[in-house]
Amino acid sequence: MVNLLQNGDVCMEELEEEAPMFCINDNEDVLVEILRRLDGRSLGSAACVCKMWCGIARNDALWEHLCFRHVSPPPSGVRPVVVALGGYRRLYMVCLRPVLSRLGRMRVGLGGGESDLVRRVWTRQEVELSLSLFCVDYYERLLGGGGKLTDAPASSLMFLCKTVNV
Amino acid sequence: MGPYDSSVSAGSSSSSGSSSSCSGKPADTIDGLLAGAGYRVRSSELRQVAQRLARLETVMVNAPTEVSHLANDAVHYNPSDLASWVDSLLSELHQPEIAPDPSTFSDLNYIAHTQAGHVLVNPMVSHRELSAGTEIEEDSGIRLVHVLMTCAESVHRGELSLAASLIEELQGLLTSVDGERGIGKVAGYFIDALSRRVFAPQGASLADSAFENAVLYHHFYEACPYLKFAHFTANQAILEAFSGHDCVHVIDFNLMHGLQWPALIQALALRPGGPPLLRLTGIGPPSPDGHDSLREIGLRLAELARSVNVRFAFRGVAASRLDDVKPWMLQVNPKEVVAVNSIMQLHKLLGSDPSRGSPIDPVLGWIRNLNPKIVMVVEQEANHNQPEFLDRFTEALHYYSTMFDSLEAYSAQLEKSLAEIYIQREICNVVCCEGLARVERHEPLVKWRDRLGGAGFTSLHLGSNAFKQASMLLALFSAEGYCVEENEGCLTLGWHSRPLIAASAWQAMPNIHSHE
Repeated sequence: MVNLLQNGDVCMEELEEEAPMFCINDNEDVLVEILRRLDGRSLGSAACVCKMWCGIARNDALWEHLCFRHVSPPPSGVRPVVVALGGYRRLYMVCLRPVLSRLGRMRVGLGGGESDLVRRVWTRQEVELSLSLFCVDYYERLLGGGGKLTDAPASSLMFLCKTVNV
Repeated sequence: MGPYDSSVSAGSSSSSGSSSSCSGKPADTIDGLLAGAGYRVRSSELRQVAQRLARLETVMVNAPTEVSHLANDAVHYNPSDLASWVDSLLSELHQPEIAPDPSTFSDLNYIAHTQAGHVLVNPMVSHRELSAGTEIEEDSGIRLVHVLMTCAESVHRGELSLAASLIEELQGLLTSVDGERGIGKVAGYFIDALSRRVFAPQGASLADSAFENAVLYHHFYEACPYLKFAHFTANQAILEAFSGHDCVHVIDFNLMHGLQWPALIQALALRPGGPPLLRLTGIGPPSPDGHDSLREIGLRLAELARSVNVRFAFRGVAASRLDDVKPWMLQVNPKEVVAVNSIMQLHKLLGSDPSRGSPIDPVLGWIRNLNPKIVMVVEQEANHNQPEFLDRFTEALHYYSTMFDSLEAYSAQLEKSLAEIYIQREICNVVCCEGLARVERHEPLVKWRDRLGGAGFTSLHLGSNAFKQASMLLALFSAEGYCVEENEGCLTLGWHSRPLIAASAWQAMPNIHSHE
């Protein structure tokens, strides 16, 4: 353990357990800041760590940031609509991720790993199309549940991905 | 049967029903396709042989007297050497007064004559004994199409007994092709349609309950992009037309499950300046058992609109036919801006009844009198309303082959099968029905342009936004092969450069006199 002495020298010593251990779970705000910078897949993995992380990682604000942090210009007034239609996490999992990966693949011509997706800048039209598809998804769940919203996998969006993980 | 040593494989490998053409290969090789059928013909001589066969048929068909002497003749020509056989027969039938009687030819089972003047001989030799290979498959597929066309022709000429025997033959041929994909599948549906027309003309049209129809329509919506393209393109145009207006009214000629409207509601919710008051009037068939399906769809749409804070009002108009709808039922308010949305409905009005005339004209008339800001018309890009049965049949075979081709990429089996049943109903209607029962009277875009222009509408160009959106939508499908094209302000979606569905936007020309 490195100890910085008052005169600026650095000395290596075994210290007793007086120095506070930094535990990330005690610093939720730091955790949130870290998670905000992750891509979707990592965020999903983070949600599997423990209950606390799960609660934080499922926070829709994080996913909102993920959805639109690379959109230029960022869409305004979208939040109430997205929240009403199922939230940002669902928007990302069900619409944005498949749309991005398909369109990204078309544009770049690569396999399109998750990190590549993060670097892409959305166009306004891609955002609009994703939102429309998200709305159709919401409506189909409404139809399928006979008026109550079900969590059934989106049927109309099946063309986007082979398996849907929500 | 001689072995064939050429590498020629003729015919199309795609599943559209095009007739075979043998490609030229080195002069001395025996044509592989015909060899598979039991005939040895040099590739270099194919053209001459074909011409002579055509001439032979003309001679035989036009000859008035019996040709039975050919069957009783002691000299039997060996037809497997097709070139010399044809020559000797032609020289024998020097005299044109010889009537054809195919049944007297012991060596030839049957001659099928296609529209292109191509002659295909159907030998008695069964080539199922040959080892399976794609050449055989192609050969069977091509034969299937040729016999199918001949059957259609005999139906066209009213020779129903011949048609019936051909149908049996077709069902036999179907067993030697893959009925799960490609030409086998399409042919299967057309054979089914023809047999309904020949054997059960009264009950020909498939019984359609509105509920079943809606379910099939939903699966068709999911399995392929045609309806999504229609909805999204229409919504984009309507959205642009509604820009700046606070009171808007959409009239949907075929509500179904209302799948088109959520996206429009959401787009209106997010438009700069806030959402307008949206009224939706949905027209649909009456529900049989008393429960109001139109109203239920309206309730769901209202719920969605409420979630996204769009003021919304719904009205359902139940009518089994579009010409039963009267404008007063739509309750159009003079202050609101109207959009009319017709997704594959107008063609149903093209049939004419001696007593009522063609319903399309009065309907276009009242649409125009509503003074709509935009009329969205989406129709199948096909010519299925020709007066001659054979023309319709041929066109339908090409059109639906292409459509089935495009469907093949879709993986979910159940949805795909239900979507196919939806398409099958259209096929049956085009092939089996006549008169007022035939509602699938598709006409191509050029005809709709004339018709709508003549009824007092001017064309509105669908903008680049619509085109970009359609292209993106297609990019999201796993199947590459769909193509969006722009055609004088209209958009078409097709499969491999064959347009299958066309979307166009119209506006009523300003008129000085009002007719009501």
